[in-house]
Amino acid sequence: MVEIQGGMYSPLYSLDSQKVKVQPFLMDAYPVTNSDFLAFVKKYPDWKKNSVKRLYADSSYLRHWANDTAFPQYLANSPVVNVSWFAAKKYCECEGKRLATTAEWELAAKASPTNKDGSRDTAFRQWIVGVLSKPSGSSTPSIGQTPRNYYGVYDLHGLVWEWTYDFNSALTTGESRGNSSLDNTLFCGGGSFASKDVDNYPAFMRFAIRSSVKARYCVPNLGFRCVRSQ
Amino acid sequence: MVLLSCESSVSEKVGEKQSKECCTTSADEPASAKLPDESVYNLNSTWKTQQGESFPFNHFRGKVTVAAMVFTHCASACPRIVADIQRIEKALSAEERKQVQFLLISMDPERDTPERMQEFAGQFQLNTQWTLISSTEDATMEMANILGVRVKKLSDGGFDHSNVIHLINPAGIIVHQQQGLSVDPTETVTALKQLLRPAA
Repeated sequence: MVEIQGGMYSPLYSLDSQKVKVQPFLMDAYPVTNSDFLAFVKKYPDWKKNSVKRLYADSSYLRHWANDTAFPQYLANSPVVNVSWFAAKKYCECEGKRLATTAEWELAAKASPTNKDGSRDTAFRQWIVGVLSKPSGSSTPSIGQTPRNYYGVYDLHGLVWEWTYDFNSALTTGESRGNSSLDNTLFCGGGSFASKDVDNYPAFMRFAIRSSVKARYCVPNLGFRCVRSQ
Repeated sequence: MVLLSCESSVSEKVGEKQSKECCTTSADEPASAKLPDESVYNLNSTWKTQQGESFPFNHFRGKVTVAAMVFTHCASACPRIVADIQRIEKALSAEERKQVQFLLISMDPERDTPERMQEFAGQFQLNTQWTLISSTEDATMEMANILGVRVKKLSDGGFDHSNVIHLINPAGIIVHQQQGLSVDPTETVTALKQLLRPAA
């Protein structure tokens, strides 16, 4: 795990008063791989592909695995995907860790290879937009092939989306009354003007992913990594 | 359901013993084995009622349940959710009402103490069919995710949240969800009546 310095995080749709203070924490340098996850399900058989309770994972759970304990060998070092929030959370707890809050994840992901705040680094931001605009290949690449960021973390961008502990705090409807008195977030244009960071397209994409999934969903390009408080 | 309630005392003890450990294996978990896979009563977190009693969540199984997540300091939406559930309650006959429990699940574990929930129950004149429960932050997050309720804590201590009334059958399957505030409850009432035994 690597240390992420604390700092202030401004949620995408937020007022200045809603800035979140993030304490320093430790983060996995890589997303959890299929091999890692296999070791977990062997130890905790409740979470095997054919044993998991439907309450905790939909029928796509570990869909890319051939059976309870096998997946194509070329995916051994690729991030595990098709895992639900419940499975990801349990995995981290069993490692003595936890899922990152969205604030923690976003703070770590703001770092470019050279700076802990890469948000004004045009080349870095364009690289992220570039990798996002390419369609995913038919199989998930291995971990560790994207540039190492300032803290020593890999793959926060350009590999898979990742679960956060409080992903379900992304509200996109008029229910999000604290953010805007009008139903601004219901409309793409209005919503983006209410945002603090209007040209950070990848942040909008992550917000969209978080607001569109449910905790039991298993999605082919959504994985996770764990963190620990210091 | 008689069978399930006979076993509940055994399963609750098991649940208690293991609640401190985060990772158990299936061999240690006979408590939920009889429940359907999708049952919300597979959750083994512990909840405190407005009377200050603690129960594992599966204590509430065995009855038709109308549930919603709320917080008692909520100024606008939650009183309306309670009013919406009371509309559903009023649409039932006295006989039907006896078969239903109304469960208000707190999304604010920090402030929703038994005393505070008791006060809220008094304020809204909730009868004995109503139970308010709260738990830990982590159990609350799991519950919100089981029920598909979106919750965002605000810096003033309040919450943004989606407004959903859940209709849960005695085995713990969510059979219907009413989304939004002040919506016409006809559909929910129809679904609810289908779960109830016809009056004798």
